[in-house]
Amino acid sequence: MEKAYLGVDIGSISTKGVVLDADNNILASDYLWTEGDPIGATKRLAKSLEQQLDAGRHQIVASGTTGSARKLVGAMLGAVVVKNEITAHAVGTTTLYPDVRTIFEIGGQDSKIILIENGVVVDYAMNTLCAAGTGSFLSSQARRLGVKVEEFGEIALKSKNPAAIAARCTVFAESDLVHKAQIGYSKTDIIAGLCRAVVLNYLNNVGKGKKIAGPIVFQGGVSKNAGVRAAFEKETGLPVIVDPNGHLMGAFGVAILARRSGRESPFNADVADMEFVTRASNCGQCANNCERILVYREGVLIDAWGNRCERGAIRVK
Amino acid sequence: MRIGIPRALYYYRYGALWKTFFSALGCEVILSPQTDRAILSQGSRYAIDESCLSAKIYLGHCAWLLDKCDFIFVPRMADLGRDKEFCLRFRAMPDVVFSTFRDEGVRIVSCDISMHKGKSEAAAFAELGKKLGFKKHQTLTAYLLAKQAEQQQAAAGARKLEAALAGPELKVLICGHAYNIYDRYVGQPVLDAIRNNHAVPIPADWMDRDEAWQAAADLTDTMPWMVNRELTGTAVLLKDRVDGIVLLSSFSCGPDSMTDEILTRRLKNIPILTMTLDGQDATAGMETRIESFIDILHLRKDGTVCL
Repeated sequence: MEKAYLGVDIGSISTKGVVLDADNNILASDYLWTEGDPIGATKRLAKSLEQQLDAGRHQIVASGTTGSARKLVGAMLGAVVVKNEITAHAVGTTTLYPDVRTIFEIGGQDSKIILIENGVVVDYAMNTLCAAGTGSFLSSQARRLGVKVEEFGEIALKSKNPAAIAARCTVFAESDLVHKAQIGYSKTDIIAGLCRAVVLNYLNNVGKGKKIAGPIVFQGGVSKNAGVRAAFEKETGLPVIVDPNGHLMGAFGVAILARRSGRESPFNADVADMEFVTRASNCGQCANNCERILVYREGVLIDAWGNRCERGAIRVK
Repeated sequence: MRIGIPRALYYYRYGALWKTFFSALGCEVILSPQTDRAILSQGSRYAIDESCLSAKIYLGHCAWLLDKCDFIFVPRMADLGRDKEFCLRFRAMPDVVFSTFRDEGVRIVSCDISMHKGKSEAAAFAELGKKLGFKKHQTLTAYLLAKQAEQQQAAAGARKLEAALAGPELKVLICGHAYNIYDRYVGQPVLDAIRNNHAVPIPADWMDRDEAWQAAADLTDTMPWMVNRELTGTAVLLKDRVDGIVLLSSFSCGPDSMTDEILTRRLKNIPILTMTLDGQDATAGMETRIESFIDILHLRKDGTVCL
């Protein structure tokens, strides 16, 4: 029986999972929509991965979780590692691309840059809590233009003369966009302008003052947009790599971390059939009135969090 | 006489001075409690929308003190000399507090500190003692005792700084105003998150103020604000002795917006995380940012993350 490691990345939009062997080969993987139900999505994911795996040959000995629902799903799966998605992505990317010097990442709500020298992270920056210039910005502009955001990239590549659009703030960008449309710019040029604006915004904010060297790996949901990728190549003058498995990078990274942790906690495929229930409870012991989340498996409390201080802590027996 | 001191803004810088001064004069000092959600929402209700988070919190503390003391102490702090200015909010604070709580019959006691107008801190406190009806020598004694207490606090900071820098753990400089760092509701969760990730947070105010102020000249010739100069200088002095810097600012602080830009653009070879606090209730975004930042620092230092 060979050892295998499970990594699960549960984002607000999509849920990703991979199973790796000890040499980081992908044995099984899947990508599905979270649909606002991380527990249900994880159950479906567990079933799918289980079917892909040769049960007689590989046994999952440790799991890791990442993404915004990492805590909840970590409790559910009995994960040995629960890590944020940024770290998971950095670990995944440096494993697959040991020579990488710069990682660009633009997700739905955040964007970050990681600089690497000789395989070691030397610098890092992330956007502030404002989502300007990220995937959600492109989605909202797509709605305004009546175009599917998935088609943005292909349309943008056709433009010869991208419109100049400010992307610092979605509100300003919208007025720019309306203005350009009204004076006669084509939709193609406006869409190309939006892609370029995302890139300029990124380089001038998250990437300001950073020495960007190649190879560059571009990931996160926005990396699927060929227009943004082309604009990055044009602005930096360097080739930009987008991995076809880029969307799995977080799950890949956290599976590696689960293996590296040295801890083992065999994965039980029965989670797909177990009942998991979460309940919110307000503490009420002081003015902060913290909202706590309690997680039950088959009616038994297995984890709880959300309190700001010890007074509101709920102990799991 | 009961003097109310809001536990906000420059209480976190001059608290030892103020408390000792009033106590030495025989006044009872009523300190508002630690910030919590109730105080913040009270403050937000009273403050104008454009106000920064820290000033909103200040008004929340004033509201708490209204019926619990004879006077609320709200000093008018303008400047301590050239390039030692305070944010305009501090200059305006007595007027803002008075007009905000006029209908509640607020009674405040204030004093002006402005070297541009020839009024030193010592002169301001002499005037304050006089206003409250104390004799000149009483006031002077109280002020000298207060200065001693202030010096002791500074010496304790210097000791803590040396101890923290000597330790083997990952060190993170928290470059921000003391009123953000030490506020239990807004700043402390950030420091807790850093500790939970096996790193040691080092508050900028442990650094010697004069030394820090002078070191700022390395990065800026023109910055007028005293505390922001100190923060800039602290980052310059400690950048090679810590593993990373967190710029902790309250939304929408004017001086910090400029200082944070200077630091992120001009400091090289040190990871910097900008954290803007706006009293968000959900801490998940903050925790993810801190955790990933500390992971990056671990990766940078040891080539691996803490698991």
